[in-house]
Amino acid sequence: MPELKIVKNATCTFCGCVCDDIELHAEGERIVETKRACSLGESWFKNHTAERLYPDALIDGQPATVAAAVEAAADYLYRAHMPLVYGLSNVTCEAQREAVFLAELIGGVIDSHTSL
Amino acid sequence: MGGKVTCTLGEVKNRADFIIYWGGNPAECHPRHFTKYTLTQKGKFVPNGRKGRTMVLVDIRETPSGKAADLFLQVRPGKDFEMVTALRALVKGQPVDRERVAETGLTVEQLQDLVNQMKAAKFGVLFFGMGLSMTRGKHMNSAAVLALAAELNAFTKFVAMPMRGHGNVTGADVVLRYTTGYPFGINLCRGYPRFNPGEFSTVDLLVRGDNDAALILGADPGATMPQPAIEHLARIPTIVLDPKVTHTSRLAKVHITTAATGVSAPGTVYRMDEVPLPLRPALKSPYPTDEEVMRRIREEVLKKPAWLPATNGRAAIA
Repeated sequence: MPELKIVKNATCTFCGCVCDDIELHAEGERIVETKRACSLGESWFKNHTAERLYPDALIDGQPATVAAAVEAAADYLYRAHMPLVYGLSNVTCEAQREAVFLAELIGGVIDSHTSL
Repeated sequence: MGGKVTCTLGEVKNRADFIIYWGGNPAECHPRHFTKYTLTQKGKFVPNGRKGRTMVLVDIRETPSGKAADLFLQVRPGKDFEMVTALRALVKGQPVDRERVAETGLTVEQLQDLVNQMKAAKFGVLFFGMGLSMTRGKHMNSAAVLALAAELNAFTKFVAMPMRGHGNVTGADVVLRYTTGYPFGINLCRGYPRFNPGEFSTVDLLVRGDNDAALILGADPGATMPQPAIEHLARIPTIVLDPKVTHTSRLAKVHITTAATGVSAPGTVYRMDEVPLPLRPALKSPYPTDEEVMRRIREEVLKKPAWLPATNGRAAIA
């Protein structure tokens, strides 16, 4: 039986409410209890586990290392005349700042879900 | 007119006695909005909680949120802009055409009654959702309700706030604003930011086939975008960062699995009222975070010779 880890005042990032009063109970690789979370938040927390369900990276659909994938990504973006950096919704502000930095370096367009 | 008259959700909880939801269904999409921030909580200046507040729902059909409302106003689909414009006229005491108001599916009396209630409020707030901002009129609808809220401040305190969907989409607006000066759809290909929704917004770019590579993070356009945009993503080298292998990953050249934000990746996210909150992840992921992968891609690009924009032979800015 893995040890039960309790995180108080955890923050849910499913919707724009960003409720920060959730109590999470984690056992090993999954969250088993989400106190005060709504039904959407509960399924969000319980559907994301820490299991290794997917390959680290895929290049042309084939499993690859993160290092090789990072190199391939950098090559494609560097060679492009008008690359697009899009999404930014389900990532942290720290990742968003990195995305702006990268978009500037590659001379691209940066856009989020807001434009949809 | 520019600028948004708004407030935090804490102020709504403690002060708002008149709440309008327009084109949104919080009961199903933001289940804790009523109970945590707006309706049922007892606030400092709203000591009676739900009894001290009035809630109005404006939508094209009665959704489950209607059960929580004191008044439901059914607007005809695509007539939101006309309804807001009529309200703005009534707020200023200007005459309105009965027949043209009737096109919105509501009567002048219903709108006048709403205006009277808005003016009588001590602290009014208008939440607007994608039913307003993503239907006919789009950003002009958002601009109109923001103007309505601003103009009501000649009579009472009134604010407006968009109901944001996806977790940190508010953070994307904030981060892009403080780094580039614009909230979304920013073109940096001349070495400086340019903003023009419709020209530099993703769906338009992809449907026109303007991009020759794409990096997608924290989104799955392969499941949500119009088919021509998806087809273009499949034509060009697309790179996806996501905790799961998504629809977009399947048509991408490169997919990198990352830790799930908030579940196993730490950091900061913005609530819809632009209050930043720290994440407290409960799990430890075997995958790197989006932040780390983005940093590694950036460092890899930095190893290459500097990119300079071709500005008709003049000196580059980058």
